[in-house]
Amino acid sequence: MIPIRQDNTKEAGTTGTPWRRTGATVLTLIFCLGLVSGMALLVLRELDDLSQANSDNLQWSLAQADVEFLRFQLELERARDDPTRLDQVRRRFDIFYSRMTTLERGTVFERLRADPTFDHPRTHLRSFLDSTVPLIDGSDVALFDALPQLARDTRHIADDVRTFSLSGLSAFAQISDERRQHLVQTLLMMAVVLAVLLAGLALLTVSFFRLAKLSQTRAREVQRTAGRLRTIIETALDAIVVTDAEGRIREFNPAARRIFGYTREEARHRSAIDLLFPSDLAESLRDGPLRFLDSARAPEAHEKQIEITAVDRFGRRFPAEISIDLAEDDSGRLFVAYIRDISRRKAAEEGLTVARDRALAGERAKAEFLAVMSHEMRTPLNGLLGSMQLMRDHRLDQRQSELLDRMQSSGRLLLGLVNDVLDLAKFEAGKMRPESRPFSLTRLLDGVVETMAPLAAQNHDRLSWRWVGPPQDAAEGDARRLRQVLLNLAGNAVKFTQGGTVEIEAELLRDGHAVEFRVIDSGIGIAEADLERIFSDFETLDSSYARQAGGTGLGLGIARRLTEMMGGEIGAESEPGEGSLFWLRVPLDPSTEPLPARAVRSTPRPELAPLDLLVVEDNEINRFVAREMLEADGHRVTEASDGRAGVEWAEAQHFDAILMDISMPVMDGTQATQRIRAGSGPCARVPIIAVTAHALPEELARFREAGMTDSISKPIDRAELTEALARVASGELPAAPVVTIRPAPTDPLIDTDQLSTLWAGLGAEASAHLMQSFLAELDEAIPALAATPPDRPDLGPLAHKCAGSCATFGAVALRRALGQVELATKQGTPVAPADLAALNDLWARSRLALEAWHRAA
Amino acid sequence: MANPARHIFFAAACAVAIAVTLFFPLRVAAQDLAPPQGEVLLTINGAISMHNDAEAARFDRAMLETLETVTIETSTIWTEGVQSFTGVPLVALMQAVGARGDSLRATAINDYAIEIPRSDWVEGGPIVAYLNNGKPMSVREKGPLWVIYPYDTNPKYQGEVIYSRSIWQLDRITVE
Repeated sequence: MIPIRQDNTKEAGTTGTPWRRTGATVLTLIFCLGLVSGMALLVLRELDDLSQANSDNLQWSLAQADVEFLRFQLELERARDDPTRLDQVRRRFDIFYSRMTTLERGTVFERLRADPTFDHPRTHLRSFLDSTVPLIDGSDVALFDALPQLARDTRHIADDVRTFSLSGLSAFAQISDERRQHLVQTLLMMAVVLAVLLAGLALLTVSFFRLAKLSQTRAREVQRTAGRLRTIIETALDAIVVTDAEGRIREFNPAARRIFGYTREEARHRSAIDLLFPSDLAESLRDGPLRFLDSARAPEAHEKQIEITAVDRFGRRFPAEISIDLAEDDSGRLFVAYIRDISRRKAAEEGLTVARDRALAGERAKAEFLAVMSHEMRTPLNGLLGSMQLMRDHRLDQRQSELLDRMQSSGRLLLGLVNDVLDLAKFEAGKMRPESRPFSLTRLLDGVVETMAPLAAQNHDRLSWRWVGPPQDAAEGDARRLRQVLLNLAGNAVKFTQGGTVEIEAELLRDGHAVEFRVIDSGIGIAEADLERIFSDFETLDSSYARQAGGTGLGLGIARRLTEMMGGEIGAESEPGEGSLFWLRVPLDPSTEPLPARAVRSTPRPELAPLDLLVVEDNEINRFVAREMLEADGHRVTEASDGRAGVEWAEAQHFDAILMDISMPVMDGTQATQRIRAGSGPCARVPIIAVTAHALPEELARFREAGMTDSISKPIDRAELTEALARVASGELPAAPVVTIRPAPTDPLIDTDQLSTLWAGLGAEASAHLMQSFLAELDEAIPALAATPPDRPDLGPLAHKCAGSCATFGAVALRRALGQVELATKQGTPVAPADLAALNDLWARSRLALEAWHRAA
Repeated sequence: MANPARHIFFAAACAVAIAVTLFFPLRVAAQDLAPPQGEVLLTINGAISMHNDAEAARFDRAMLETLETVTIETSTIWTEGVQSFTGVPLVALMQAVGARGDSLRATAINDYAIEIPRSDWVEGGPIVAYLNNGKPMSVREKGPLWVIYPYDTNPKYQGEVIYSRSIWQLDRITVE
């Protein structure tokens, strides 16, 4: 954004003081000017006064009073000698009288009259005049007679006249002095004010000069900034497009010209949306990501950076990244947009995504393959091992017995390897959870020693275990995993020790809340450098070791993972040639619950009354093995190949117990059990024993919840099976646990985890696109499939194809249904047309669920 | 029978006689002023064309009163309050005596003398007042004649020069 506004505010801030100062100066000057005007007015008035000189010629008037008095006196003297001059006396008196009247009455003499030195002789004169008037106005004779007296009087009064005129003169001198002084003062004051005014003007000049310089500097700065900004814009790699509030292009930098192919002149005044974006997208842009343009408002934070498809003048469309914001300048609102051609980046990103997806898919496929293969391998292995057990029921000669031994040990080894791989796959899938249940430590360690005894005997090793410190039998924890780890460590120790000792020590730590196990051998030992490495996956140190160990190299890696899963630690110390010490510290809480009674393997097989048994198992070999084992013990066996068949049998007929496999097509063991328990058939309350390879604690709980009474592990161990049946026969097993009858939990239609993974992997856009084609594909395929006659040979492949797509998009329910169709066609079982028709409904519901999920996402 | 030529001659002679008789006294009346009957208040001499005494024009109160009369209401610096002065405008007086000069010299009874330039002999200018507040003025009251300017109505008459020209107890004027 061009920081026009910011600059403005900054300038306003810094110029405030000079402007204020200038303003103050101007105000002061105006004040001074007013003052000067006032003064000038005063002076003018003074001048006016002077020019009007309403004083007449005061001094002359005063002096004249003297003169006129003297002339009157003179006339008096003359008249005494010449009576004809009496008129002259009268005239002189009148003149003097008139002068005195003027002095007494005239406004200019007002101030004189207030002066006592002037007033005193004035009153004397006035009384003289008043007393003389009757004589003057009287007859000539009277006047003539009074002349000597008048002369005397005038001689007396002469001093007063003199004093009168002199005091008047000095008073007037004072008055004019005062007036001069006043004028001088006024002029002086005016001079001062003028000086102030001049100073103010000088200050103002300086201030204006500084302001001028400041604005000059600022103008240069603005120019420089503008120049820099122009260079930045001109040299930018991104297109910079400035539009007005209506979206018409104002500026179009060189990069924009390069990217879009228009010259600046061509682009200016055109609508940016119409010019720079495909015409078919213009509407959706106006309503969508660029909708703020129409209202000419500032884009919100999420609208400032958008990815969009742009088009150049030659019609090439390319993905562009736009960063846009609103700026304001004098001419109104502007939008400034940086547009970057990101087609290369997009291509690279897509390439990376595809590569990553491929790698991920490959990885997943491998892991899945591993899991499926090891799982699938277990079934035939179980068949082999079961069959071998059954062979022992027949008469065998020495040689055959030895061969059978070897076959059995090989089979067990193979099963061990397969289980290792499966464990690892489970770890990879994050499906392993520790369980916690009470168990006996003594019994566990006895078992380990017992299991390893044959191998130890083979290697001429002495194998034993003991407590170090106080013993503690009852503990709570994951006995199965602990046993697995200890067996692994003991197995290794025995394998690498020839004719030596292998000792397992157990010691309580942390007040009995943890146990340390130490497996100490006197074998070949391990070099210091290799000690860390041996706990890694697939690590078999060297070929000789690997050969001697004869393993996948997964054992210690799995042991480490299991230990960590239980919250414990594992480690080793060794001295090559002197033996090794593997230690294992696991938190184990002391158990307060009573331990389950010890199963005694060595006890002779109890004699069992023949029982009627139903074996529900989809695998034919497993079914065969189970049937053989059970019939060998004299029981009657009915077989069902899946859950539904099992339910049907159970509803139709009474059995003493049901052996129920868990994972089966059509209907799994849990569902089948729920159906049987929920119904009112003859088997609704008979014991149901789960036969399972997955014995996770929560799963066992789930089986029990579903109504199963007991469980045995798969592959079926003959002794375990016999014991379980013995419990059934003795009535020890609660025949029918009280189960709350409730509808089978509806399977989820879609696996949202799978969808989320897909979305995260491919990105929302690609995923949504794929999803659309998936929906379109199945919209077509499912009705076609539903309408396909059940005996058509391409039914299986068609179902398989759809199932694959369903798996990708997590439509698990539909996939299962399709899987069953596929299985059925593979097995040659006819598929019911109703089942096929049901696919339509299932698809419709799955589709809704998918769309709902997509909307929510 | 009458002789027509004699008749014509007689008529002509009569006409000439009448014309001469009529014309001559008219000429004398236009050039000279009637002599004053009462006490002479003002004597004007110098460059004037009207006389009623040797080279002078002498005026008594009645003669002045027959001339144009103007009354000015004004205050003065020598009196108290607004006064009313009635008299002959100086310009009318100068016309009456056929003054030809550029200024006049006015002299008072006490021999105070000043000059009044022709520029002051204008309408709305000074008058030679013979009444103050409707009454004649005695010598004691600066009479009998006083040159008064309309001080209040015209500020240019408020100045020392004008005040000095406002001569009272006026009795002589010499047009120069």
